[in-house]
Amino acid sequence: MSSNINSVISLKNISKTYDGPPPVKALDDISIDINEGEFVSIVGQSGSGKSTLLNMIGLLDNASEGIIEIEGKNISDFSDDELSKFRGEKIGFIFQSFFLLPGLTAQENVAEGLLYQGVKREERLKKAKEALEQVGLGHRLTHLPKELSGGEQQRVAIARALVEDPAFVLADEPTGNLDKESGLKILNILKELNDIGKTVIMITHNQEHAKMFKKKIELVDGKIAKYEG
Amino acid sequence: MKVNKLKTRDLFFVALYGVKARRGRAAMTSIGIGIGIAAIVAVTGISSSGKADLLATLESFGTNLIKASPQAGFFGSQESLPVGVVGMVERIGPVEEVTSTSRANLLVRRTNFISEYEGGGISTVVTSNELLEVIGGNLSEGRFIEGDLSDVPVTVLGAVSAERLGIKSIYPPAKILIDDQWFGVIGILEELTIHPDLDRSVFIGYGVAKTLFDIDSEPTTLYLRANPDYVEDVVDVLAPSMNPENPDQVEVSRPSDALEAQQAAEAAFTNLLLGLGSVALLVGGVAIANVMVMSVLERRMEIGVRRSLGATRKEIRSQFLLESIILSGIGGIVGVLLGVGITFGYTNYTNIVFSIPFWQIFGAVVLALVIGAISGMYPAIKASKIQPAEAVRT
Ligand SMILES: Nc1ncnc2c1ncn2[C@@H]1O[C@H](COP(=O)(O)OP(=O)(O)OP(=O)(O)O)[C@@H](O)[C@H]1O
Ligand SMILES: [Mg+2]
Repeated sequence: MSSNINSVISLKNISKTYDGPPPVKALDDISIDINEGEFVSIVGQSGSGKSTLLNMIGLLDNASEGIIEIEGKNISDFSDDELSKFRGEKIGFIFQSFFLLPGLTAQENVAEGLLYQGVKREERLKKAKEALEQVGLGHRLTHLPKELSGGEQQRVAIARALVEDPAFVLADEPTGNLDKESGLKILNILKELNDIGKTVIMITHNQEHAKMFKKKIELVDGKIAKYEG
Repeated sequence: MKVNKLKTRDLFFVALYGVKARRGRAAMTSIGIGIGIAAIVAVTGISSSGKADLLATLESFGTNLIKASPQAGFFGSQESLPVGVVGMVERIGPVEEVTSTSRANLLVRRTNFISEYEGGGISTVVTSNELLEVIGGNLSEGRFIEGDLSDVPVTVLGAVSAERLGIKSIYPPAKILIDDQWFGVIGILEELTIHPDLDRSVFIGYGVAKTLFDIDSEPTTLYLRANPDYVEDVVDVLAPSMNPENPDQVEVSRPSDALEAQQAAEAAFTNLLLGLGSVALLVGGVAIANVMVMSVLERRMEIGVRRSLGATRKEIRSQFLLESIILSGIGGIVGVLLGVGITFGYTNYTNIVFSIPFWQIFGAVVLALVIGAISGMYPAIKASKIQPAEAVRT
């Protein structure tokens, strides 16, 4: 595949080795181009390097080798602080275990999504309410995470990711801890986000879910085994 | 690109979240600091109350009072001062007032049922009415030996004497026995503090001393007030002018000096307690550092999430640093309240002036905050160094 000049995310010959002992080569010469508004799935066996790849795209981790360009900018030119702010403004993360802060209500958890962008508290809470309504949880504002079902918690986490109005939504097995019905609901929400123009990249083990994606990346032992779409 | 956008007010709430989410632990963690600060505030509070009380005492008695008495003889026998000494002293320029007393060796008892041997410890002082004014004493009841009262068998009791004799009031009228002569009690003095010897005395007039006990008016002790600017000079010339041949036989002292010396002795004890308070603070600081390190390890997920939401390393560092400062600050505030309470209780109980300068309270709180900052530094740096990708891995 050739590098696409219009791609919004571009990985060129990325490798990642975790320092041992023994050293683990989690990603091996990966090149990917993702265009604006794409709906991408990453599949593969456990330990194949999916999370490592997603964290790399999400700027949570840096590559051992290779170049990552996002919106045409080489991210190795960014300082650590700039990477942080870029994550905060452009990338929404959704994790398998939700990662909500246990002491905060649903609304407060979602509002944390705007905390590091200097948005005032009243404004944060107002936008958090809107985001929760968007994922169908307008009636659960004052509940603590432990008072919500797994599916509801994940929807709160999605609201937290989208409250900042990110260009990219990255989800690492968001349905992995959920039953089939809740999982489908999450998937549909992500699809809706994609419909309104967001680039969504999601790791999944679920073959059914994977079928819904136009673009599919399959990893085997840190290498791209299949690249569709 | 502008980084570190977290507002100070928000940072405070983020740090407070960490404390509130673990209330029990926070309380346990702040205890060390609380105890240390309480100890320091109480110790400095009690010490400064003591000083304030001393100042108040010195103010009421004055530091320009000088006392002169014959050097205690070889066998402790009290010799009297040369005749006409009061006149000599009055001629020293800066001396404003002089009065004298004669100590008489007489047994003082409440009744004659008390044996001679049990009645000890109370001296009889023969004096005139000016004494009270010169030494700055106050009557708690009745009057002093005014005018003609000098010639009749009446007596005024020092505060401690009154207590020992069991006479709390001049009503109903009470009598005591001085060397087998009955004396009516006409007044009781308030405690003089800087004259413990006078507190343990009973006072009678010169006239009655002469008629009943044949005591001459040879003075044994001189009390004088000097112009405050020349107190030292008067102290220097007093002995030579009282006894030019043997100035070293006259002992000159300032009663206020004794109080100050006593205060200095107490300061050593204060320092010891301050040392103990500091140890408690050190232990408290280490406890906070420990708990914060533990907290950082437990809260990797929170750190990872915050980094993914856009927190910079510095913002994470500030969060944990401030959390540590808040923990220590809570301990500090509780400690200050406790320390002030202890000081108040102590001063109330011992009946001295309550005084804690504002800077001591302010200083204690600042100290707690500084300890929190120091203790939090290492955990905060540790938290900020956690790789975001590592932190979100489960
Ligand atoms: N911090 C690390 N240090 C060493 N090795 C690591 C580290 N993180 C991941 N690995 C290794 O890198 C490889 C890829 O891990 P990764 O988490 O990306 O797999 P994954 O495809 O997401 O698996 P799963 O489906 O189980 O989540 C694995 O062999 C893993 O053991
Ligand atoms: Mg994974």
